[in-house]
Amino acid sequence: MSIKATLFPIFMYAILAPLPLVSGEYYTHVLNISFYYVVMAASWNLIAGYTGQFSLAHHAFAAMGGYTSALLVIHYKIPILLGIPCGGILAGAFGYFLGTLCLRMRAIYLGLSTWAFSESFRITLSMSYKLTRGDLGLSTPRLLETAKAFPYYYIFLLLAIVCLCIMYKIVHSRIGYYMRSIRDDEEAALTMGVDTVKWKRFVFVTSSLFAGIAGAFHAHYIGLLSPVSVDFNEMAILLIMVITGGLRTFAGPIIGAISIEILSELLREYGEIRMVLFALMVIVIMRVNRDGIVGIGRTVLPRIRYSTTY
Amino acid sequence: MSLLSIQDISCGYFEGIDILHDVSMDVGEGSFTGIIGPNGAGKSTLLKTIFGFLTYRDGEILFIDEKIRDLSPFQIKKLGISYIPQGINNFPHMTVRENLLLGAWTFKGDKDRMRRGLERVYDIFPVISSKRNHKAEFLSGGEAKILSIAKEMISSPRLLLVDEPSAGLAPKIVSYVYEFLRRSHEGGTTILLVDQNINQAIENSEYLYMLEMGSVSLEGSSQMFKEKLKEIIRDSLIGA
Repeated sequence: MSIKATLFPIFMYAILAPLPLVSGEYYTHVLNISFYYVVMAASWNLIAGYTGQFSLAHHAFAAMGGYTSALLVIHYKIPILLGIPCGGILAGAFGYFLGTLCLRMRAIYLGLSTWAFSESFRITLSMSYKLTRGDLGLSTPRLLETAKAFPYYYIFLLLAIVCLCIMYKIVHSRIGYYMRSIRDDEEAALTMGVDTVKWKRFVFVTSSLFAGIAGAFHAHYIGLLSPVSVDFNEMAILLIMVITGGLRTFAGPIIGAISIEILSELLREYGEIRMVLFALMVIVIMRVNRDGIVGIGRTVLPRIRYSTTY
Repeated sequence: MSLLSIQDISCGYFEGIDILHDVSMDVGEGSFTGIIGPNGAGKSTLLKTIFGFLTYRDGEILFIDEKIRDLSPFQIKKLGISYIPQGINNFPHMTVRENLLLGAWTFKGDKDRMRRGLERVYDIFPVISSKRNHKAEFLSGGEAKILSIAKEMISSPRLLLVDEPSAGLAPKIVSYVYEFLRRSHEGGTTILLVDQNINQAIENSEYLYMLEMGSVSLEGSSQMFKEKLKEIIRDSLIGA
């Protein structure tokens, strides 16, 4: 890795570090949540955007990571920083299981099966109330002693940047090409000598692992877990973020997650109407440019440059 | 010595419905073997079976005296067999170079060999060399077909399975494709060609098999096929 590539994340961290000083307590919290969504959206883009496996269970993996870590910490008194990777690993293991189950499924069938998986998981969470306290919600120990958003900002920023770096490496390596070849034409990928089974499983495991870890961090920040986090709305928000930002682009989910999360906070007073607005926005974006904000930028920017030079 | 030996294989897409019945063939090392036959005879099915897309119910396929039953396509590719399917099978959202690299990754780790393979392919196909940074979706039909072939050739396979290389191409490109196949054969690649274009198949191959209704109905040297060409067309392709 070149020096430039190593320095860029550090540079980004340094630039974004003073942000909470101006954003205030509440918007620092919003930023924290949006960093969580950046990891979620980007890891979902790995599986749906780059590999073409339209999984609708990503939010379930996040909740799985959160519950696993919280329960381990509560019952076995393990340190939180050990619980979080455990949550990630369990989510990854279930990702392997779900990936194997869905190996031969395509498009809508994969979507339906993964959706069924997450719904079953949600119901299991509500029903096993002795362990999870069901719909009452499980209060989770916080990562830091304080509930203030400020210190968490640095944790979530670091989490987002580290995860994005790893994903960037994956997408721009040999594996990234394998993933795209599977998305474009699975049979042709096989003809090219790509072990499609192995790499599909790999992507399922990796993206679930990211989701599990992000979910665990989120749980230990918010301090409360409930089956509501496995509601389909949660997945819908992820979808909206990735599609608005730009499916199949690296920057898309990042832009989408941050802008949608902030927009959603600004529109908070309108309640559920927000979802209708977002849905309309997604429809418009799909009509205008399928690559979302990134795609629009790619077509508009050169034109502006063109019109200013001539 | 035979490179690929197919012994009495029977297989099909669904249980109980066989497409191929007891097909046996021998592809000698360094040979150019052709398979002809009417639509639905099982020619493409045979190639898919060799390459591991279909598992066979009965019989055995040997590649360099090793059984390749139950191997996945990617494992078969590693053994040195490449398969050029009908039509175009590029990855449209990747550049030409990335498409070629994907073909070269069967020998990952060996960067030197990868680079040499890439250069060799650029040498043979100047058309795609000049467009190496274009997305594959912007290539013309002929260029795209050439890319499909080139990305299989990059791994310098020992055996090349070619399915209908002339389908849907302009005559000028068709002759280019055949010329290329001849050249790689001269360069030492063993070729197994499936073609509906009987004249071209007979012209290029040394030995031919004719498939009808899933079994071999005729086999012999291209000389013999040339002599019997009229009868063959009358009897089997038009229907007696």
